Amino acid sequence: MATVEFKGKSFDVDEDGFISSFDQWNPEWVEYVKASEGISELTEEHWKVIHVLQDYYRKHGIAPMVRILTKVTGYKLKYIYELFPSGPGKGACKMAGLPKPTGCV
Amino acid sequence: MNDVLEKPVDTHKIREILNANDGARIKTWLSICSRCGLCAESCFFYLTNNRDPRFSPAYKFKSTLAEMYRRKGNVDRDFLRKCYDIIWGECTTCRRCSMYCPFGIDIATMISTARTVCQSQGVVPDGLERTSVNYRETGNQMGMSTDDFLDTCSWMEEETGEELTGLTIPIDKKGAKYMYCLNAREPMYYPQDIGMAAKIFTVAEEDWTMSSTGWEATNLAMYAGDRALAGQVVKNMYEKAVELGVQNIAITECGHAFRSAAFEGPYFAGYAGGKPPVAVVHSVQLFYEYLRDGRIKIDPDKMLTEPVTYQDPCNVSRNGGLWEEGRKLTAFLAKDFREMTPNREHNHCCGGGGGFIPMGPEFKKRRMISGRLKADQIRATGAKIVIAPCHNCYDQINDLNKEYNLGVKVLSFKEIICETMIVPDKFKPVEGDDEE
Repeated sequence: MATVEFKGKSFDVDEDGFISSFDQWNPEWVEYVKASEGISELTEEHWKVIHVLQDYYRKHGIAPMVRILTKVTGYKLKYIYELFPSGPGKGACKMAGLPKPTGCV
Repeated sequence: MNDVLEKPVDTHKIREILNANDGARIKTWLSICSRCGLCAESCFFYLTNNRDPRFSPAYKFKSTLAEMYRRKGNVDRDFLRKCYDIIWGECTTCRRCSMYCPFGIDIATMISTARTVCQSQGVVPDGLERTSVNYRETGNQMGMSTDDFLDTCSWMEEETGEELTGLTIPIDKKGAKYMYCLNAREPMYYPQDIGMAAKIFTVAEEDWTMSSTGWEATNLAMYAGDRALAGQVVKNMYEKAVELGVQNIAITECGHAFRSAAFEGPYFAGYAGGKPPVAVVHSVQLFYEYLRDGRIKIDPDKMLTEPVTYQDPCNVSRNGGLWEEGRKLTAFLAKDFREMTPNREHNHCCGGGGGFIPMGPEFKKRRMISGRLKADQIRATGAKIVIAPCHNCYDQINDLNKEYNLGVKVLSFKEIICETMIVPDKFKPVEGDDEE
């Protein structure tokens, strides 16, 4: 476990680069990880995906399957990959402050 | 797992497991190992940890399973905790050492047995245990419901169908030639994998189906050492295949799913003959046959021109026998192929097998240390693309790519075939006015 300081905020980050607790999430975290996830500029569409992931996680305690993400946002799968080149399972979840999904991912 | 370390050890249960496995094989293996050290040089953990003798495969089984037998199961929590580090943190059960042992001792099988002993006492990586809970509740490692799975399939049929006319994703089609089984990560987080498989089957005009249950081909319970659960997981798939009367089970580009379905699963499921009730085929074999037989043709102008190397997944090549098929398939797709050294059945594990990746962040650092050998192998080829027909190799090499700045792209066969195949006119969507 390492601690990252960024723009006056501090995050405990696990070995996979996910923040260790959802409670520590704040918008600065998204700023901090965007470059390593291959995103140059954050748009409203990125934030929409991030907020959908977070709402689902607060209700269910896990990340939603991609199908739910596309249904709620109305985005096609290809568009989600354009937004998050490292994918909805890892990249978008990492940015949203969710833990790394369970299993072979 | 930490709370179970306080509980007393059920030595009766441990003895039961040891006795059940105390057949001629393990007895012989335990007594004939002469500590010659050949296994050490074959092991990527040993080679990447300063040739520390504690990482030699012989030491690993000697200090775990052999010790359990020597003490007749009377072991304490401290001992099990030490075993935990060795059998999950220092061995991916890749079975390379078995090939280099002059006596053919199958050390991976012994490590797996030690995992079963530890698992019986609740000593098991949390990451694997979480998937076990999901397997028990839903039959798949990610806890996906049947409705969600079917919804994802029909959505992929719709979205991918826009690119390929006539594309369908049949569900529970009786008597199909192939029942295509998956890794739960595909419907859950990588649904495009299902879309790509459907494209390939459509162009090959295959008689295939997916199944509403029993579609999960992975079996992390096998790596957790929970043999009863591993048997249940694989039985779900076998029984569905029998119910539908399909001719074959086809396994997605996943390594351990093939090991489970084709080789170890029948034993977990209690089939005395050691054979699955329905033939099991890996995607590498199937896709190779499509290209060999001309059912899918590759556009020469779209073939990969960048240097390409091929990662032999342990459970597809060494343990699955498909090393030549993997190369022949690659030859159809890439103009500049570079072998890793060593390769084929001698290839090293990616460093992330045996449950290492799903075991979680606790093991990430070791995974990167032991993966250095794979990173060096890849770098030496000069390749810019690594083909990895196993999700686990795929993720591990992506992690190594970042850790060691390899500058490579990792691809599955599905991805390359879909980008390079010639789509016959009849499957090409008609340009509608609304697309102008």
